[in-house]
Amino acid sequence: MAAAVQTETVAITINDIELHVPKGELIVESVKRLGLEIPIFCYHPRMKPVGMCRMCLVEVGFKQPDGSVRKMPKPQAGCTLPASEGMVVYTDTEMVHRDRKGVLEFLLINHPLDCPICDRGGECPLQNNTLAYGPSTSRFLEVKRHLPKAYPLSEYVTLDLERCIQCGRCVRFTEEISGDSQLAFRFRGASMQPSTFQLTDFESRFSGNVIEICPVGALTSSKYRFRARPWDLETRPGLCTLTPCGTNVFYDYRSGRLVRINGRTNEDVNEEWTSDTTKFGHDALYNNPNRIQVPHVREGEAFRAVEWSEAYAAVLGACEGKRTAVLAGTMLSNEDYYAWQALARTALATNHLDLRWQKTLLPASQMLKARTGLPGVQYGIADLENALAILVFGTNLAADQPMSYLRTRKAWFRNGARVVVAHHEASEAESFAHVVLRYRPGTAAELAAGLANLLAPELADATRIATPEWTEAQTGVPADRLREAAEALRGTEFAAITTHGLFDEANGVTAYQTLALLTSHAGGKFNGLVNHANEQGGREMGFAPDLGPGGEAVTAGMNTAEILQAAAKGEIDTLILVGCDPIRDFPDTALATQALENVANLVLVDSAQTEACAYASAILPMALPAERDGTYTSSERRVQRMERILKAPGESKAPWQIAMELGLRAGSSAPYFHARDVMDAIAEQVPAYAGARYQDIPETGVRLANPEGLTRSNDAVVQALQSLLGGR
Amino acid sequence: MSFEVFRDVAKPILAGFGITARRLAKPKATVQYPEERREQFPRTRWRHVLTRYDSGLERCIGCSLCAGACPARCIYVEAAENTDQERYSPGERYAVRYEINMLRCIFCGYCQEACPTGAIVLRKDFELANYEREDFIYTKEMLLEARRPEPVAH
Ligand code: SF4
Ligand code: SF4
Ligand code: SF4
Ligand code: SF4
Ligand code: FES
Repeated sequence: MAAAVQTETVAITINDIELHVPKGELIVESVKRLGLEIPIFCYHPRMKPVGMCRMCLVEVGFKQPDGSVRKMPKPQAGCTLPASEGMVVYTDTEMVHRDRKGVLEFLLINHPLDCPICDRGGECPLQNNTLAYGPSTSRFLEVKRHLPKAYPLSEYVTLDLERCIQCGRCVRFTEEISGDSQLAFRFRGASMQPSTFQLTDFESRFSGNVIEICPVGALTSSKYRFRARPWDLETRPGLCTLTPCGTNVFYDYRSGRLVRINGRTNEDVNEEWTSDTTKFGHDALYNNPNRIQVPHVREGEAFRAVEWSEAYAAVLGACEGKRTAVLAGTMLSNEDYYAWQALARTALATNHLDLRWQKTLLPASQMLKARTGLPGVQYGIADLENALAILVFGTNLAADQPMSYLRTRKAWFRNGARVVVAHHEASEAESFAHVVLRYRPGTAAELAAGLANLLAPELADATRIATPEWTEAQTGVPADRLREAAEALRGTEFAAITTHGLFDEANGVTAYQTLALLTSHAGGKFNGLVNHANEQGGREMGFAPDLGPGGEAVTAGMNTAEILQAAAKGEIDTLILVGCDPIRDFPDTALATQALENVANLVLVDSAQTEACAYASAILPMALPAERDGTYTSSERRVQRMERILKAPGESKAPWQIAMELGLRAGSSAPYFHARDVMDAIAEQVPAYAGARYQDIPETGVRLANPEGLTRSNDAVVQALQSLLGGR
Repeated sequence: MSFEVFRDVAKPILAGFGITARRLAKPKATVQYPEERREQFPRTRWRHVLTRYDSGLERCIGCSLCAGACPARCIYVEAAENTDQERYSPGERYAVRYEINMLRCIFCGYCQEACPTGAIVLRKDFELANYEREDFIYTKEMLLEARRPEPVAH
């Protein structure tokens, strides 16, 4: 798709230096090629230019045939000026400097200049530009305008209207990037102010981004408010471990405490955006007041703090010769999953281990790969941008896969991609959908069959009865709408996106697999993404009851639901929970509670106290992802590394370290001294990670390729479809 | 006693006594500290004080500019938001924690220079000796000026 694009270039002159730039490139971008910078406020490279602030004024002229330069009488805004042949630009003349001073003087007339208490102070573009280009004193002696300060736009965003310079970045973000169009300008002229319509709450899944792109301290974070100044902060690159996207972020911390998360640019993943889950969710995790500091073992009703060695002895004693099972949360690193599955399968001699917390837990034999030979992830997030058509099926994409959602929207907004949204309830993606297929809950499989009937001739026989009219009767999606959707997708090498959340719908597995198959037959790319942080990595590490590292088949153990059922019946002696709380994570709370009540030994490896603590016999403190080294595999199968940022509280250890030390005591594990040693073991055991070395993972991560030469098989899915369709 | 001995030993000693004798007649430069104290130069910089407005509100707004300016990195400020029920300073923000590590302070006065509200000032109290290292961490309570007594209504 990425055919070499032939771009026409033009010759322009900037400050007497000649250069060639693509025709139509904005001058504000062209000057960067020379290492120069034009001061800006409203321009943002990822949004359309609007020319609202006039900060970027430059002098422009054109070369005349006789070699002289004819200047335009007035300065021009560099952010809205496309480069054209013979253009001559000056960024450093007397006139430009005078204009910049003037613009800044106007901007500051009504600016409160309360920099000392402004959360933007120290990293404020208005401060920086004023210092570099502005007047040193003010001639404005009159009383400044006064407006509400600290107006809460939402739970996360606080608006200080006095500081707003009306650049429109926030408004354009919600229109162009996040697409919720929550913000708009009210009133005009000097009284113009950004706000929500009717002053409702600013409800968006991406509201945190406007805090970062606001060039002044008008939009600030309610969570970070007054917690630090930029020069108090230390900052290190890290990853989000709350969403499955692998969003790149900066962790900003002060005196060892996390105070805020900012987006970090990774063009392949999140560009520079973050979802609100990412931006505001980590605080509660890392600054949880109930962090566990030292290992504890139960003594009667109470817990006693013990040394690690004693805790290990207690855990191993509880596991020896017992029926043991291990459940893990979805936030662990690849190394953690690998070390724990190795421990479970050797020292604990059990295959009862799982990290999935949905209702429907597919055995390996029922998974897409086993039934159709197709890989579940065929497209990266960045590839979505170039897709001509995208089918979003059975998922609320903005909630489940925020970064895939932003790219899907970008594909539509920038490149006019046609987006078909099929879901049983309303979702954000419908706002820009070419066709919306709102099916009745539980009829996803019928809809998929209807699409297959139209799009995949090879499946037409199997889906004979699923004509558009039949599909309409079954799903409530009008036949014409379905045909329209099929037309939008046909012949486009479209991307189909769904998530494992679809499994929990009636016949969801059939819907999922039919979708994969029809996409493949119609020449598209299928993406069936996991919905939790490092679930993808955990599965690939073999943290599954019936799959070993790299997907090799092993004797099947019990899955999450079966483990909990067995535990509830008292058929499990020892249950180890690593970074999870079934009462919180499992859909069936009653079963989870019953399971924890009835298991003889409950070993908890967790970072903070949870409800499960009440039933625990031993508690081992676990370091959170940013408190240790590790690699993570996002839902698009991108492996990224996060190095330790914060200090783990008390004696907390990384889960892989706990597994390894238990293994050493049981005589089953090799000693690992660092996450990179575990990675070496992974590289040996997991084919997709072969040759991977911890230190060599590039900063932007590596996306794992699917193996070549996969053969597609229709049989299993066609059978399932026929029994589904025939049964009607 | 040879001439050399007189010239090299006795004469300088006598000359020295001479200076002492002459000085006796002049005013004394030393004072009997601690009973007596000398007045200090107007711009002497010693112990810090966090000052208040006449209204009794704290001047400090917890902006951390002093901490940013401090070359010894010995100031720690933690800010919080004023509410109408609990108001410490005018405006939105005040310092909940304000600490100076006096062992590291070099009394350069940059903090005073940086402060936008004139809250932190270096005054003339120079007797800062103490026994424990911890006691050199001056907290906000130690630094804050006492409230002036309420003016008596006439
Ligand atoms: S927005 Fe910038 S210039 Fe305005 S008060 Fe805040 S720091 Fe100062
Ligand atoms: S709030 Fe910030 S981003 Fe929005 S218009 Fe005002 S200055 Fe621009
Ligand atoms: S006097 Fe100088 S060294 Fe001492 S606290 Fe102030 S800025 Fe820091
Ligand atoms: S003493 Fe002055 S500079 Fe330091 S935090 Fe308080 S107001 Fe800011
Ligand atoms: S940056 Fe060009 S007008 Fe604002």
